[in-house]
Amino acid sequence: MTQTKAVIADDEKQLRVHLKSLLSELWPDLIICGEARNGQEALELIEKHRPDIAFLDIKMPGLSGMEVAKKVTESCWVVFITAYDKYAVEAFENEAIDYLLKPITHERLEKAIRRLQKQIAASIKPPSNMSDIIEQAITRLYNKEKSGHLRWLKAQHGDGIRLIPVDDVSYFKASDKYTLVLTKEGELLIKKSVKELADELDPAQFWRIHRGTIVNAHYITKVSRSLTGRGVVKLKDRPELLTVSRTYIHIFKQM
Amino acid sequence: MEYVLVKITRRHVFGSLSYTVLFDTFIALVLTGIKFGGGFVENFIISQCIGISICSLALTGLYLFRPANPLFMLVLVMIAIIIGTVVGWTLGSMAAGLSVSLFDQRFMPVMILGIMFGSIISYFFSYRERISQSEALIQEERIKRLANEKEMAETNLRFLQAQIEPHFLFNTLSNILSLLDSDLERGKSMLADFIHYLRMALPKTRGETTTIGQEIEMIQAYLNIFKVRMGDRLRYRLDIPDAIKGFPFPPMLIQPLVENAIRHGLEPKIEGGELFIRGEKKGDRIRLEIIDTGMGFNEIEDTGVGLSNVRERLQSLYGGIGRLILEENRPSGLKAIIEVPHDAN
Repeated sequence: MTQTKAVIADDEKQLRVHLKSLLSELWPDLIICGEARNGQEALELIEKHRPDIAFLDIKMPGLSGMEVAKKVTESCWVVFITAYDKYAVEAFENEAIDYLLKPITHERLEKAIRRLQKQIAASIKPPSNMSDIIEQAITRLYNKEKSGHLRWLKAQHGDGIRLIPVDDVSYFKASDKYTLVLTKEGELLIKKSVKELADELDPAQFWRIHRGTIVNAHYITKVSRSLTGRGVVKLKDRPELLTVSRTYIHIFKQM
Repeated sequence: MEYVLVKITRRHVFGSLSYTVLFDTFIALVLTGIKFGGGFVENFIISQCIGISICSLALTGLYLFRPANPLFMLVLVMIAIIIGTVVGWTLGSMAAGLSVSLFDQRFMPVMILGIMFGSIISYFFSYRERISQSEALIQEERIKRLANEKEMAETNLRFLQAQIEPHFLFNTLSNILSLLDSDLERGKSMLADFIHYLRMALPKTRGETTTIGQEIEMIQAYLNIFKVRMGDRLRYRLDIPDAIKGFPFPPMLIQPLVENAIRHGLEPKIEGGELFIRGEKKGDRIRLEIIDTGMGFNEIEDTGVGLSNVRERLQSLYGGIGRLILEENRPSGLKAIIEVPHDAN
């Protein structure tokens, strides 16, 4: 019987040292054929050495441990390592994939090793739908971790690029190819269109009142009707009145 | 126009009647001006009678039927205008000592004028009502929001102070655990840094304000920990002149920016990078810069949470004078600048 081989991957050197010493103690026959410092290295080492097992830290620069596991074409058992990942732990709770929490303890690692040894001794192959399982886990994680709304704008300022929090913007106005951004500190031009902004900004805070205008609801001081019956909005610290088009007047009617 | 008049209150009655009297006077003046009718006194009496009749009828109708349907409301007001004009004209003519007859040749123009002015005034009232309603609502929303914001800022501060990021906590402990086996001395010194950091970062063990020097001391402990963890991938420099170290400074304003630079800037970058923290007194302000050469800024990711918090706290502590500026660093990474007035504390 050939000897069992493993690759370990963690961006923190001391943690690789730790895992290696624990493994040599608990599974002396295991050959560590490679140590990776980031996701790319892990992927290369796995493709090159075709190990039976990969111990992958989830949070690594380059590719995350999960992305590595998804990309691996060689069949190998994966054990994820994470410091703290409530969702990741949930995601793998009932799967064929094991995970270890940092700091790794003797007891928990021993349990993982026994499980791996059993599977390898019985010549059980890792699940062939591994990348699907991981893909699903990543999607679940992704959905939970991203709020998704645009919070900052990149805008030219002097000779540099400044990041403007959207909370500082009183309104956006379409202007030819660009969008004019009016903040308390001045006016800026950005390339994002009003339509794109409408999709990306938090709709609870940013209200589209016209095809070419989005206002920050926090800055509205007055809503009224002009003599022609159109809705007009007045914003804090701004002299101009903004027109509400008929398509969007319903926002104010709910009030 | 969907618009629901909730309730006719005393305010509506007095408001509408006094505006009506004003409008009627104006109408009488205009009519006299264009030589309509029999002089100002007559026009005044008749237009007051018509206006008050219409207004009373409309208010009574709205009060009795409480129309929720705008069409019904419109019909109601139109009926009030027509009946009001007839009644008002009759009463007014009697009061002015004129003969009253609906077949009078003067009646048609009066009817037309009644409908015209009646509609204008009714529109004015409904417009005014709608504005005051939406204004009241916006005002209410604003107050709610402000109360909410204040509360949130306070919670955020408590939360931020109490929060030790779990990845940081467990990764640091893992490192210490490992070093206790392989390099006892380094393990001990890392543990000492960690204890130092925790003591300063946990809320109960620190006061409301600290000094720049103390904050930097905490950052130093934090960076020592990351230096062990990241090795060559992290290079950092601090340039804080002794002259500003004694300045009072709000706690936990610099730390989130350093944490952000490491967590979202340098840690995810394969080759790592540099972190440079510098401070200076510039006129009447203290300016601190936290510069990294990391991944730069992602517009949507939740990286903004810690930064937004710093901004909000600067805003609530110093109003417009304290601020956080974020710029792209060249050739890569992010530059965070905090400016506060140095005599504000």
